[in-house]
Amino acid sequence: MWQALWTQIADLTLIVVLLRLMTPILLSALGGLISDIAGVINIGLEGLMLLSAFTSIAVGAATDSWVIGTIAGVAASVAMCYVMGFFSIKLKVDIIIAGFAVNIFGSGFTVFLMSKIYGLTGNYSPENLNPIPNVVIPGIQDIPVLGKLLSGHNLMVWISLIAVVFCFVLLYRTPYGVHLRSVGEAPAAAKSLGIPVGRVQYSALAWSGVFSGLAGAYMSMGMTSMFVKDMTAGTGFLALAVVLLGNRNPVGIFFGSLIFGLASAVTTIVQTTPGSQVPSQFIQMIPYVVTIVALVIFAVRKKRKLLTQAS
Amino acid sequence: MKTEKAIYLELAGIAFAIVIALLCGFAVILATSAEPFTALSSLIVDPVSNLFNIGTILNKAVPLIFTGLSLAVVFQSGVFSMGAEGQLYAGGFLGALVAVNIHGLPAWIHFPLILVCAMAGGALFAGIAGWLKAYWNANEVVTTLMLNFVAILATSYFVNNVFKDPASGGYARMPYISPDLLLKKPIPGFPAHTGFVLALLAVVVVYLLLYKTKVGYELRLVGKNSRFADYGGIHTNRVIISSIMIGGALAGLAGIVEILGVHGTYKDNFSAGLGFDGIIIALLARNHPVGVLIAALFYAYIQVGAQTMQVGSDMPREVAVIIQVMLVLLVSSQAIFAFLKQKYATRQKAVK
Repeated sequence: MWQALWTQIADLTLIVVLLRLMTPILLSALGGLISDIAGVINIGLEGLMLLSAFTSIAVGAATDSWVIGTIAGVAASVAMCYVMGFFSIKLKVDIIIAGFAVNIFGSGFTVFLMSKIYGLTGNYSPENLNPIPNVVIPGIQDIPVLGKLLSGHNLMVWISLIAVVFCFVLLYRTPYGVHLRSVGEAPAAAKSLGIPVGRVQYSALAWSGVFSGLAGAYMSMGMTSMFVKDMTAGTGFLALAVVLLGNRNPVGIFFGSLIFGLASAVTTIVQTTPGSQVPSQFIQMIPYVVTIVALVIFAVRKKRKLLTQAS
Repeated sequence: MKTEKAIYLELAGIAFAIVIALLCGFAVILATSAEPFTALSSLIVDPVSNLFNIGTILNKAVPLIFTGLSLAVVFQSGVFSMGAEGQLYAGGFLGALVAVNIHGLPAWIHFPLILVCAMAGGALFAGIAGWLKAYWNANEVVTTLMLNFVAILATSYFVNNVFKDPASGGYARMPYISPDLLLKKPIPGFPAHTGFVLALLAVVVVYLLLYKTKVGYELRLVGKNSRFADYGGIHTNRVIISSIMIGGALAGLAGIVEILGVHGTYKDNFSAGLGFDGIIIALLARNHPVGVLIAALFYAYIQVGAQTMQVGSDMPREVAVIIQVMLVLLVSSQAIFAFLKQKYATRQKAVK
């Protein structure tokens, strides 16, 4: 196993796999971050991704265009977020319950659509799919190390990296970002200053829909070229964990996704190496354990801060 | 005004939510099915049309009653745990381990021992989340979600490697449990197993625990107002941990009863979301044990109906998801229930 791992590190395959696996986690975690910051914790990321993954590949295959497919996937995910917002903000359903409902809905409704439209129950892989392209950078691609490092990645990998910067600017450099943060920290105070709390929360949910929509589209049209029942397999929950692990900050989330992506990449290597000694389940477990430990550390730090302020 | 009338109003609201949710499901069937009336009748009538299906409903309801009770207890203490799924695996695993690997005990000692071990497994695993919540202030929604994965992956490793039945081939499971220990099917031709009796017993025990004991009183008080409880001299942290552990024990029972009643041994990934269904049941039941019993039966009826519909018509069983989701959302909408109460209250004033 160490042998296999080392070869993959040496020929940079690990980095390539890491970037592939990190992208959906990073994107949906950024979505989760924005809604989290506005005080509407969205645990429905998993369901949103599934909805988008199915919609985008179905529309993408029908129109033979990955652009239209991706837009449709994002639109479906955002629409779902507005429904979620209607229930949680207007009808006062607890946001955790609303997100939980979105997860059940995303998992079941995609299978329902798949069986109604295509008559399939397990997976749908269209023959004539035009997937999200890989970005080949001419000139750099032929340079030995740099070529593999920078060229040939999926477009969505780059979008996810740009999204980190985008979120940082959105949250900390725009008036809208100030609104988001104030609504999350002190909704009553924000309201007294004339910030439309409900509308800001709707928009925060919509942002989480945009990013999980992109993540879903990437999963069905970039990472693979098919839709499989429950294909997200916990990515949405990983993203939720990354939001907390990254201490609710875009840069932290980038590094959190890097760690989780690495754990996933190593898991794949271990699973595909014959006769491996290390059980893959325990490597898969690392992100979850790390998150719990991080939560405790943050809580302790917060407590200590409060204590020093008090004395 | 927690009078009888308020309770009736609450019940009417829940019934209203159920009707709307069912109508949503029916609307989808009418819109997308080529033979909507066959589909509707196979959804509604078929589950109760023969003894086999009725027995299946009871069997499906058993683990749901246990997980529903588990979450009802936890929710009543004001903790929003989503960890019943992981606790169910931990408890089921430990119980199955005792069932498979201990030999020579008479069944009347062995069987209770299995149940106790399953409860202990669930409770101890749940205790981790309780400890993190009470002493480290870690958000229980997140820790329980993460711990679910830890439990599922850890048990999956053990059942794939250490405790795998050598004769099971590519399928990851433990050796089969001796038939003496399995839950019997007492009525010939009726598939329901005796787990249902255990589930009824659990409903009674949890009811007594919550409403007739000091522990239950403290638990509900902490859930209603933890600061007041603290002020009144209740050890809030201890109550939170014990409520989560009681919930874990019930989830562990759900796992072992499902194993002893349906599967015959521990199988990898045997639950497929029973712990999450428990959340829906507890919400529907407003965390009341008797409500859990009714809600679980209703939920199982919808699930079996969805299966008979898939067999008897052109609709896939995932239609049930639409009903489930609408149920969850409508039943937990505080705005709708506040509106109902307000309207009722104003009308009463007008009468006077």
